This record gives sequence, C-alpha cells and structure tokens, in this order.
Amino acid sequence: MFVARSIAADHKDLIHDVSYDFHGRRMATCSSDQSVKVWDKSDNGEWNCTASWKTHSGSVWRVTWAHPEFGQVLASCSFDRTAAVWEEIVGESNDKQRGLSHWIKRTTLVDSRTSVTDVKFAPKHMGLMLTTCSADGVMRVYEAPDVMNLSQWSLQQEISSKLSCSCISWSPSSSRAHAPMIAVGSDDSNTAYSGKVHIYEYIENTRKYAKAENLMTVTDPVHDIAFAPNLGRSFHVLAIATKDVRIFKLIPLRKESAVGSSGPTKLQVQILAQFDNHNSQVWRVSWNISSTLLASSGDDGCVRLWKANYMDNWKCTAILRGDGSPVAGSSSQAAVPSTAGGPQHVLLQASSAGRKKAQLIPG
Amino acid sequence: MEKMSRVTTALGSSTISGRTMFCHLDAPANAISVCRDATQVVVAGRNIFKIYGLEEEQFVEKLNLRVGRKPSLNFSCADVMWHQMEENLLATAATNGAVVTWNLGKPSRNKQDQLFTEHKRTVNKVCFHPTEVYMLLSGSQDGYMKCFDLRKKESVSTFSGQSESVRDVQFSMKDYFTFAASFENGNVQLWDIRRPDRYERMFTAHTGPVFCCDWHPDDRGWLATGGRDKMVKVWDMTTNRAKEIYCVQTIASVARVKWRPERKWHLATCSMMVDHNIYVWDIRRPFIPFATFEEHKDVTTGIVWRHQHDPYFLLSGSKDSTLYQHMFKDASRPVDRANPEGLCFGLFGDLAFAAKESLISGDANRKPYPGGDRRYPIFFFKKPDLTEQFAHVSSALSVFESSLESKRMDWFVKTARLYLLSGKPFAELCDHNAKVAKELNRPQVSTTWTMLRIMFSDPANLSTPGPNHIGKLGTLPLMNSFSMKEMGMGTESRLDRSKGESRQDNIHLELGNSLINSNNDENEETEGSEGQAEYMFGDAELDDDDLYSMDMFFSLVFSAEEQEYTLPQEAFPLRHEIMDNPLAPEHLQQDKADSPQASGNEAEVMCLTPIESFSLISISQPLFSPHLPAPFFCPVVREMLSHYAEQGDVQMAVSVLIVLGDRIRKEIDDLTQEHWYMSYIDLLQRFELWNVSNEVIKLSTCSAITCLNQTSTTLHVNCSNCKRPMSNRGWICDRCHQCASVCAVCHHVVKGLFVWCQGCSHGGHLEHVKNWLKSSSHCPAGCGHLCEYT
Repeated sequence: MFVARSIAADHKDLIHDVSYDFHGRRMATCSSDQSVKVWDKSDNGEWNCTASWKTHSGSVWRVTWAHPEFGQVLASCSFDRTAAVWEEIVGESNDKQRGLSHWIKRTTLVDSRTSVTDVKFAPKHMGLMLTTCSADGVMRVYEAPDVMNLSQWSLQQEISSKLSCSCISWSPSSSRAHAPMIAVGSDDSNTAYSGKVHIYEYIENTRKYAKAENLMTVTDPVHDIAFAPNLGRSFHVLAIATKDVRIFKLIPLRKESAVGSSGPTKLQVQILAQFDNHNSQVWRVSWNISSTLLASSGDDGCVRLWKANYMDNWKCTAILRGDGSPVAGSSSQAAVPSTAGGPQHVLLQASSAGRKKAQLIPG
Repeated sequence: MEKMSRVTTALGSSTISGRTMFCHLDAPANAISVCRDATQVVVAGRNIFKIYGLEEEQFVEKLNLRVGRKPSLNFSCADVMWHQMEENLLATAATNGAVVTWNLGKPSRNKQDQLFTEHKRTVNKVCFHPTEVYMLLSGSQDGYMKCFDLRKKESVSTFSGQSESVRDVQFSMKDYFTFAASFENGNVQLWDIRRPDRYERMFTAHTGPVFCCDWHPDDRGWLATGGRDKMVKVWDMTTNRAKEIYCVQTIASVARVKWRPERKWHLATCSMMVDHNIYVWDIRRPFIPFATFEEHKDVTTGIVWRHQHDPYFLLSGSKDSTLYQHMFKDASRPVDRANPEGLCFGLFGDLAFAAKESLISGDANRKPYPGGDRRYPIFFFKKPDLTEQFAHVSSALSVFESSLESKRMDWFVKTARLYLLSGKPFAELCDHNAKVAKELNRPQVSTTWTMLRIMFSDPANLSTPGPNHIGKLGTLPLMNSFSMKEMGMGTESRLDRSKGESRQDNIHLELGNSLINSNNDENEETEGSEGQAEYMFGDAELDDDDLYSMDMFFSLVFSAEEQEYTLPQEAFPLRHEIMDNPLAPEHLQQDKADSPQASGNEAEVMCLTPIESFSLISISQPLFSPHLPAPFFCPVVREMLSHYAEQGDVQMAVSVLIVLGDRIRKEIDDLTQEHWYMSYIDLLQRFELWNVSNEVIKLSTCSAITCLNQTSTTLHVNCSNCKRPMSNRGWICDRCHQCASVCAVCHHVVKGLFVWCQGCSHGGHLEHVKNWLKSSSHCPAGCGHLCEYT
C-alpha cells in the first residue's frame, strides 16, 4: 500500500519537524543542527534539496509554511527563544545559480524569554497571522498588518498559562459560524495539573482570545496537537499526541443569544477514540487532507494510520516502520522497501516560487 | 530535590554531599571561587566580598572580608580566585586596577595582605599558578598582563598583548610555564612565563571579544574559548597551528566557560546578557545543551565546579544576588523534551516521517513509558544510565508514498474535473455525475446522483431507464416480500406523507446512533447494509446478490430508505464488492439503447407492466406518481448533504448543492452553504484545480463566495511598441496607435491567451512564446531583454 522512499536528509542532528506546503509539492525539515532545509518534488517523484541554511542559534523545533497566497514563506521557531519568518527569493535570471533559491529572513520575533516550542500560521482567511508558544507557557498571537511587508509583525496578544506549552494548532474552519480557535498543548510533566490542552477562542467584542475549554481528561504531557481539516463540518475534530493518541470532537453549542457574543462559545467535548497501541510516548499526529486518516508516530519508531468507519469507530489500518520494513502483525502489509538513493542536489530545478514573470490574460 | 545524595569523589577520602540550594547575597556577585577542599566558597562583587561555608542543607556565611567603615575601591572586585594549594590565600581583581591578595590566616579583621596597583584600568582576571604557591597572574583592561611573585612587592614581569584589553588569563594545567590569554579583539595568545617579550603563539579565535578561556583539566592540548559571537570553541593546541576541533553554538554571548571535572567532553557555560541559564554541553553534540540550570533570575556571572574531581556539583553566583549550588540530577535536560520525530501528511496522501535513527532501528535506546510497556514483563527493563548518555544522534527521513494504484486523493481530482455542474438539463447532469462516480468506484455517490435525478425531475421529464432498470433487477419474490411488509403496515395511502415522516424519525435515530454513539455495542449488527436490510425486510431470506440488487431497487424507489441505506455505507465504500454486481448506469445505458421509448407517465407504466406482476403495479403506481412533490424530499436531501459534509466529502455536498440549485438552496442556511463552498474551494486550490475552483465560485449563490473572483481583476499593461501604460480602452495604444497585442513570434494579433514579459512588454501566443523561450533566452521581439517564463 505504501512505498517508503528514504531521503538522505544530511542533517547533523535530530530532525524535529517535517512540514508539507499547501500544494504538497514542497517540504521543509528542521533540525537541532540549527538549519532548515527545503525539498522540492521533481516530476519523477524524487525529493531534491533546493535550499539549506542556518536559521537559528539553537535547535529548531518547528517549521511551517504560510499559505502560498502570501508568497513562499516559512516560519521557524527555536530553542534560541526566537521565531523567524523567511521568504524565498529566486535567483536572478542571469545568475549562474539560476533556479537556486535563497531564503531571506524577514523578521525575528524576540518576545519570548524561553525556548519557542511551536509556531503556526493562521488559516488564510484570517490574513497573515501566526501564533507562537513557548516553554514558559506564553502563547503569542502576531499579525502582519500589511501582507506585502513580511518584516513588520505586531504582537496582538499574549496569553500566559502556568504550564509550559509544547504545541499549538489553529482550527482550520473557515466558517463564519465558527470563531477563530487555537488549541495549545502543554508538555508539563506534572500530572497533578490536569487539563494539558487549552482551547482559546476569538471573542469579537473584545477582539481578544479567551479560554473556551480546558480538556481536563488530558493529564499527561502533550507533545503534539492537530485540528482535522474542517471541510464543511459543523464541529471540530482534534487529535492529541500524549502518552496515547486521542481524538476529540468539539461541538460548538449555538447560544440562544447569538448576537454580540461576549464570551466564548460553549463546546461540547466528546472523546471519539483513544489508543495506546504505540505503547510509549506519542510524539506526532497528522491528518490527511480529507481528514479521514490520522497518522501518529511514537517512541516505538512506527507510524500508525487510523481510520474511522461509518460508525465513527476508529481503527488502526496500517503500521509503517520508519525504515520501510514491514511490521509483523500489521493488518495491511505496509511499506515495500524500495529504497531510492538519496537525491542529488539538482540545482536547476525550476522553482514555483517568487513572483511570476509572465502572466496570462485573455487577449 | 529534598533527597540527599551522597557522591564519592575521585579523591576517595573526602565525600561531598548536599542538595540544590541557594542563599541570598546582599549584592550582585561578579565572581565566585571555591577553596580546594570544596567546603567554602568566596563570593566577590562590587559591593560584596564574603566567604560562605557549604553545608549539607544550606550556605552559612563564614566571613565578611569587606571591613572598615568606608571600604575602599580595593574591595570592589571584578574577579576572585582562591588558591588551590594554599588554603588561606585569595586574590581579587579590583575595578580600580588593583590586584589584592588576602590572607585568611591573619588574626586581624582586615585580611588584606598585599596590594599591587600597577594596572591602569580595571583588572578583569586574576589567576594563581596551579602548583606554584607564590605565582599570580593578572589580566587587565589596559591590555597588559602581569605576573606577580607574592614574596615581592611588585610584579616580576609584564606581558604586552598589543591587541587591546585582556579578558581572561589561564595557566595551563600541564605545562608549567604556559598560560593563555584572551583579548577583546578576538585573539588568543599563548605565552611562556619566562619570555615576557613576545607571545609564543597567537590566533584569532572569535569574531568579537573572547570573554573567557579554560584549559581542559586532563587533555593537555585542549583550550576552550567563549566569545561574544555566541560560540564556544575547543582548540587543539598540541599541533603547530591551533586547530579548532569543536564548536558549540549557544544562544547568547559566552561569559564563562568551565570544563566539567571527570567528563572529557563536557563543559559548562553561562552568558553575559539576556540569557540567565547555565548550560552544560557535550561538545560532540554541539547543538543541544546536555543539561541546563534555570534557577537564576538575572545574568549568571560566576560558575565553578565545586570540587575538581566531582562532576555533580556546580556553584554559581548571579547578578540577582543569589548564590546557588546546583545538583546535576536536578538539571533539566532539553533533549528529553526535544521531539525526536516529525510527521506530516502530504496533500496526495503521502506521509513524510523523520525519526531518530535509534528509534527506528531497534528498541535499544527506547525509553519505556513510565507506565510500563505491557508487551514485556517489567523485570526485563534494564535502566540504562541515561543521565550520562549523550552520544551523537541523527534522524532518518523518509517519505511513504501511497503506491500508484491506490493513490488516495486521485478520486477527488478526477471527480472535480469530470463532474458537470451546469450547462445541461438537470437530469443529464445527474446522470453524467452518477456515471463519473461509478467509474471511479464510488457506487454510493453514484446512487445518490441517480436518486436525486429521480426525486427532483419533473414527472414529465422522468426518463424511463430508472423504473425499467428496477423492473429488470427486482425479482418477484423480493417484490412480494416487500409488498407484504408494506401491506402489513397499512394501506398504500399510508406510504404517503405520514409514512415519509415516520421514516424521517428513523433516519434521525439512525444518524444519531451512527454518529454519536460510538460505544454502540451492536456495531456488528448494524454494520454494513445487512443490518439495515434486515430491519427493513424482516425475515426475508436473501442471498447477497439479491440483497444488493434489492438495495438498489429500494434506493431507487424510496428516498427515505435510500437515506438509511446510503448514509451508513458511504463511510464504508469498499467493504462490499458492489462493483461485481450489475451496476445501475450500465443498465441505464443498455436499456436506453435497446428500448427507444417515449417519455412520460405512460411509458413508466408501460415498461413496468409487461415485466412485473399485478401486485407490483398497485404498489408502484403511487410511488412513482407525481403526487410526491420535490419539496417532500428536501429535508432528506438536506440531511444527506450534511452527512456527506460531516464525513469529509464536501465535494459531494457542494456539487449537489450547485446542481440542485434553487430546489434545495432554501433548505440550508447560508452560513453552512458558505462554509461548504469555502472548504471546497480551498481544497480545489490546494490541488491547483483553478478552473474548477473558478467555476464553483461562479456558480455559487452566496454573495461572500461570488465576490471571491471579483477582486484584483485589474491588469496594467504596457504597449509593446512604445512601452507606455495602455489606457483601458482596448488593445490599441493611444500614443503610437498600434495594436499592442501582436504576437512577437508570428506577428499576428493574439486572440485567446496572451502572455507577455513584464520586463519588456513583449509577448504573444502562449504556445509560441513557450516554444521560443525553449530555444532562446532573449525576447522574441529582438529587444535584447532576457525574458523569463516561469
């Protein structure tokens, strides 16, 4: 079902995050070696590294793409207490390095006093916004008032919680019925503090985010959190990576006096599924685009895929080993190892980035 | 933290014990130093000069060396050092340029021993010789280093670095005569104490000031330096040229660096500003601190390992006026919180996965979850000594691609491309879309389209294939069981509205069950269509094939039942091999082909009667009669669309919404519609299906959506002749009266797609320009511009 294609990433330390862009043709990786690499998919499906540069003076925890409407833009966050926004500039046409892309730092967000553990862009319809969260428990919301000027970001709001934050996720819903929503997970190891996931909602009246929900049942450190793509649903689905994989359903309860809401929407929280198949810490969760499949990875070095049947019963449909070897006991025989050699640095890979030099119009 | 820990040192005889503890000082500390037997620590600062005893539970103030009513500037210390051979001997570097020694053995309150006022500016560093009792070295802001013999009143020799201020001086641990000095201009010099005229060696270690240096306690050649450039570098000095062998990147300028005792690869650093933490690095893994101590609230100014053979106790003084003893076991380990894996789903169902190699290759280094791994009995766990394990690690990156046959999102792209949403009569659109869905192996979607056609078509236009098809599929026994059941429930008339309503309730019930109650224990019973069928048909004995054909039949006949049937199965498309059964569209075509028939009610009856028995006629008459108005189905369709949307198939919801148009629009509130449109358009744009996306935008009725493609529609064009901006009156330039839209390649006027270079304004037919630029990089108009087509 799946073919594993291994890529010689050539990072000098742990890779902490992998991120696909909006169209699924580019990939960014970040590592403790303080660098970020950008990979472009060639026509034959190979991934070629088109850029690699030092981004921070500490481990880079996360890297994330902005919507391509804003250009080819990446954000990264690091142990060095900063988050940075990068934009790709394609080499000049008469340049020897034609097609080689350069990434330019547009801004450094230096408000945090501790390690910045996650950075995420807001859904496109909200404009150019991003949030960061840091190890001292502060979540920050930034906005670029002028989308053409990536070097100017204003800090909209700071929300402190007592617990160190580890991950953050925007609700992708574009419905006007849903207020913008952010979920923040904490990796504080003290299980005495219950509620390691906080959900904040934008309040139109105050123009601020306020706490809407606290998932009290999550008491173990949370390492990753991901809203499922909304796709026209009336409710939200949230996956959480903690000591196990959990899937929550958040149903907004429509208030009677909907006009001029002064407080956050009440959410009805249901737990849809909970799996400890990894038998260890779960580090990452990720949804596919149609939000029918959830992938999780844990300390066991395996990726597990989860799928719901029509009854909303979630079941494991595949187990993938990181090196592509099949896993005994996997329901579907996954991962035929066909290890393609590491990609060469193909420099003349035309990049889709930058501003188009040619345009089409009906004549 | 409360627990005491006892650590035996390499010295064996003396045992250090203690815990993480701190005490408040009266003033910010500038430097600290510890006495040889690790029982006392001296803290020096601008306004403080005290000795504290290190006890098990706390610091105890032993002695205040700032005496006298008006302490002189000599007490204002930039640095302090306790002699490692002579217990009573201390030296301080004063901010006024004095080097002072203190003899604790003095009986008087003032312990000041000697005073050297030879430096002209602040003395940054003092350093005793590690083995020689009377030899003291100082380094000053004035750029000189001086060596003092404590038996004499003045310095023995002066070393001129001739490269700005001296920040640090350190005697080599192994070479009796050698010392290293670091400078503000980034240089490090090596000196022989016997040759004050010239340094032995000099090299540039950092860009910007080198604030500190430290010789490795065991390896004679290694020197660690830290600078304002945020780096710690380790130099191998045994070779002819100083060779950088390790480099650690920290997050702030490095103020102090101290090798960790008994650990070859470890060193501790603290920063001069911004960062208040103390880091312990393993130089082999220079990116992540091995351990951090985060207690201080202000800049840490002095760090010292408590005992030269004990790696577990670190003392630190800070500008926040505290003195800390850090226990290594209480340190935080950033790497423990670092995520060893990255995982991301791509758009096409491929999965990028990066993981620590040791996690993938085996369970060797796997940390068991605190709760215990249930796969192994607990006694199999051997706890590796994680505290000191910090080897170099790397990650493996791989992409799992769904193999081509089952490319997971292909159906979406194909469906989006092939669906017809407008431009044809309603029934044809439905048929077309049903066919598309069928070809993509989505029988449920296909059935839904067929159903929609039947439900919403005018009876007059209702084409015959539907009933005809039923007639062929539905076997007599089926019909009988069906009719019996319905008969049992009442007369035919009750099939009308009241019936529909009761079915509605059932639907709600079923939906409720399936969506919300995930703990339903009767999953097995309701799974798939069998359960539903039984529910509907009672005891009727059916084999599978019959069942499907019957399902098909019913979905065609009763919208309500169809709902019950399709909804659950939609999430389960591949479970039943429906494709193996005779499929509706094929039949439709077939039937169309071999029975050219008139349309209308008459035909309907006609084609039913010859095949089926009398009982069927009596039933099917009211079912297919035009007495069921289209609005009757609207609530059902609304439910269905919501169901598709909640299942993640917003494509279906939007497509049906567009095709049905006014028939259903009023049933669904605007917000939801807008939400569906937005979601679908976003998806289409992800797949770069711009044309489909634009079509959807155009066909939508939500004002918020239709305006999406009406922004930024202005194009500013330059005349390709005179290069002036064109007016908006067409393609004839105002100034040169030439047609601006002439193809530069074929010199004809372009009708259709026109592409032009924004640099030189020349352009032409898309294909022509494309071909031209394949062979040449210059503008086809010959203007010499290097056009770029991206």
